[in-house]
Amino acid sequence: MESYLEGMRLIAPELVLCGVTLVVLVWDMVRRGRDARELGGVTLAGLAATAWLLLGQWSALGETGAHAGTVLGMVTVDRFGTFFKLFTVGALAVVAFFVMVDRRERRRGIGEYYFLLLGAAIGIFFMVSTNNLLLLMLGLELLSLASYSLAGFHKGEKRSAEAALKYVVFGGLSAGVMLYGISLLFGLTGTIDLVEMGGARSGLLAAQLHASPIPVAVAMVLILAGFAYKVSVVPFHFWTPDVYEGAPTPVTTFLAVASKAAGFAVLLRFVGALFLVDGVEATIRAYGLGEVGVLLAVLSAVTMTLGNLAAIRQASLKRLLAYSSIAHAGYVLMGLAAMTAGGYSAAIFYLAAYYFMNLGAFGFLLYFEGVTGSETIDALKGQGWKHPLVSWTMVIFLISLTGLPPTVGFFGKFLLFREALDANLGWLVVVAALNSVVSLFYYFRVAKALFLATTDGEAKNRQPVLGGVLAALGACTVLFFLFNGALQDWSEQAPASLGISPPPGE
Amino acid sequence: MLHDHLLSWITFLPLIGMALILFVPKREIAAIKLVSLVCTGLPLVLATWLYFGVFDKTQAGLQLTERADWIRAIGAQYFVAVDGLSLALIFLTTLLLFVAVPASFNITKAQKSYYALLLLLEVGILGVFVAQDYFLFYVFWEIMLLPMYFLIGIWGGPKREYAAIKFFLYTLAGSVLMLVAIICLRLDSGTFSIPGLAAAAKSGTLLAAGSPMADAVILGMPPNTWIFWFLFVGFAIKVPIVPFHTWLPDAHVEAPTPISVILAGILLKLGGYGMIRACFTLVPGQGEHAYAMNQFAIPLAIIGVVSIVYGAFVALGQTDFKRMVAYSSVSHMGYVLLGFAALTVLGMEGAALQMFNHGTSSAVMFLVVGVIYDRAHHRDLNGFGGLSQVMPRYWALTTLGFFAALGLPGLAGFVSEALTLIGAYQAQNPIFKVFVVISLIGIVITAAFLLWAIQRVFLGNLNPKYKDYTDMNAREIFCQAPLLFLCVILGICPWFLIDWMNPSIRLLVSTLTGNA
Repeated sequence: MESYLEGMRLIAPELVLCGVTLVVLVWDMVRRGRDARELGGVTLAGLAATAWLLLGQWSALGETGAHAGTVLGMVTVDRFGTFFKLFTVGALAVVAFFVMVDRRERRRGIGEYYFLLLGAAIGIFFMVSTNNLLLLMLGLELLSLASYSLAGFHKGEKRSAEAALKYVVFGGLSAGVMLYGISLLFGLTGTIDLVEMGGARSGLLAAQLHASPIPVAVAMVLILAGFAYKVSVVPFHFWTPDVYEGAPTPVTTFLAVASKAAGFAVLLRFVGALFLVDGVEATIRAYGLGEVGVLLAVLSAVTMTLGNLAAIRQASLKRLLAYSSIAHAGYVLMGLAAMTAGGYSAAIFYLAAYYFMNLGAFGFLLYFEGVTGSETIDALKGQGWKHPLVSWTMVIFLISLTGLPPTVGFFGKFLLFREALDANLGWLVVVAALNSVVSLFYYFRVAKALFLATTDGEAKNRQPVLGGVLAALGACTVLFFLFNGALQDWSEQAPASLGISPPPGE
Repeated sequence: MLHDHLLSWITFLPLIGMALILFVPKREIAAIKLVSLVCTGLPLVLATWLYFGVFDKTQAGLQLTERADWIRAIGAQYFVAVDGLSLALIFLTTLLLFVAVPASFNITKAQKSYYALLLLLEVGILGVFVAQDYFLFYVFWEIMLLPMYFLIGIWGGPKREYAAIKFFLYTLAGSVLMLVAIICLRLDSGTFSIPGLAAAAKSGTLLAAGSPMADAVILGMPPNTWIFWFLFVGFAIKVPIVPFHTWLPDAHVEAPTPISVILAGILLKLGGYGMIRACFTLVPGQGEHAYAMNQFAIPLAIIGVVSIVYGAFVALGQTDFKRMVAYSSVSHMGYVLLGFAALTVLGMEGAALQMFNHGTSSAVMFLVVGVIYDRAHHRDLNGFGGLSQVMPRYWALTTLGFFAALGLPGLAGFVSEALTLIGAYQAQNPIFKVFVVISLIGIVITAAFLLWAIQRVFLGNLNPKYKDYTDMNAREIFCQAPLLFLCVILGICPWFLIDWMNPSIRLLVSTLTGNA
């Protein structure tokens, strides 16, 4: 009983989140038809409470690594998971705010919107804080189901329906593939717990690898394919532009930021637990599966290159940002490909940087959808002179996405480059560096439209509140470059709690 | 306070100006111009004080050091200092930016943004010249690009969009490779400090066998080779050196006059400065070569000579006045590289001097083009003629500026080109004597296209279309006067630059050649 209560204390943030989700649902039913913005307020309040609990948990977990505790042997509470939960809460708060100010969204009866977003967040919470492949799969599916419905939220719109259908088909397929991979792993090792599977003591995977390497490799490839789909890594990226384009913009933001980061979180945990945890690495490398790093490096190079090249010719800003998010998945993979604690920290830092700049960029898109009613780059022509604050803020996001100083995106890229060079992946760094140049070209098509052209007419449809939030995100993008000590510490402590420590002497 | 943080004040005063401008309503044009003048004028005053009052010209090392931790986790510091290599260029920057403000007074489009970006640009440029921490250096280096993109792209000529993004892409392509090299140096040595890296390279510990990055091979090249070329190409694109120069004519031609002045006058110098500050002395060479620089001196000299001759010939073929001036920059900056590659004190001094003198003379030439473009709204060299009759003052100043550029004895350009060529002639490797002879072709061609331009614009019959043109007004003369003054005074008394540079340059050359 004691341990049960203790467990409830550990998953208090999840419980609060579930509570808020139910409150939102009931509130919506009770006050049917009212302006749904007040539901947004409830959502934000719930998220604030969750964040507060998570922060308490973070500091209670202490700086040393190790698992703080498991709940019923399923949920693992550690700093790594808490980091991504905080990340999700932050992203979701901004997305909920976007829903509230979305001019193209109807005002009444959109309670399900918040309900589904919160449901997706619960899925993320469980998937990032477990070593149990079953719970991981359940969390992933909860996230996916909520996302499918969200993508098709504009039921009457053909594009939205198409997005939802595509998403379901691709998602279902990849979940099946992944589940098959997991079942193979279970069959080979007799456990669904990652720690037991890869752990230094039992070394089940290593033993299997020794006995029959091919089934292990097949299982790995199948599972990695599932993750690759979630974070839209080439060649599992085909759904991304269509779904991102068809979904309502706040949902796209959620998919591009929170959902993608969660996908990376489980990928990091999975690869880390099986290949990188102290003591395992040597065994695994001895059996020749250390080449996972090379595979990831190749995927990274291909993903960023294809994403960037495809983005060049997009006429719609939304599709452009979709392809850019594919390219960024490639950058983050650099950190994984390094297969070191430092690489993990760099990947996590880059995700944090990605958070600010992509929320900002999608917020900008939302703002101008409200102004011009269109999402093409052409529609932005000359708008920079009419909405200077938002537009110059967008320029900050653009240089951050390109990876130029003085922005947090530059620092993230700097860390990734450093870790990849340190892991002797010089060729990958050169590919990534040249990719930055390519990306500049299409990102600055937006700046070009905003400022290098002029239009007549008065500025219309200003949205001061949204503009203010964007400016704050822009300020963060710069400030977290100039003063990034805290963010760096966090990104370094998160992998430590997975049991991946930097080599001595660092 | 002011004295202790003099370099920071010089660097960040324009940033304060930019912030002030953002708070001025955009209709208050006069106030915006005043703030810009004051916030570019004060750094000029401080830089002059720094040059004549504070800087100890007998010292070779870094002076006025300011050092503080910045990003601890990666060991990046706020580390600024100045020595004889950067001092003159800091002065030149503050002067040209101050001149650029009144030169911009006839711009009418979106003035508030224009002056704000101009001041941001100055921060970036000055930051590069004072930074002694490679991370800080890189940050300033990139900060420069953004305002430049908008200054060309918004206020430029008809093809401005193309020119702006081309400039941005070229420079970024160079600088991302630089970043890779910088990170590699940091991983190997554990420091971002430029003097620290130079010391490590000198002592032979940088990239030595067994150090962390000693076996980081890219494209089959050992680390010291690729690091050298990555850094070099990053700077060479900025200079620009053939074959990385094709962004230059587009950017220079499309940019508004004051921005062309800054581009030619200062931005090109950043490339040359970067090489001597942050490339040559940082990368150790292979085998018996102490530095990669020694190993590759001949290829560097060859691209220098090719730039000199090729740039001059292309300039000769231009009919667009501004394009001609732009290509003359390619030719003139070739001397800088030749002077560096010679690895002699005279050659290096000539190159440093040439950077400064080209900064003044090319700025004058672009201002000259701007004067006539403002009146005629075209730049076709064959479309003018006889302007000396209606614009005598303009004729006189133009001729003076062109003579300074073509290296007429008694004017500044002669001293620097002569020193460079003598220095190159003294180089250890006799092949440099051949290079010098080939470069002389460049001098002849340069004289040819500049004199031919004067002939086509000012002499001959006056085209009746132009008979009502007014001569240069006070503002235009005010912009050119200080630059022409420097062209003359440095032609007669070049020691006003050389004495300040000499100790640092001797140190640099003795480091590179290993002769004490």
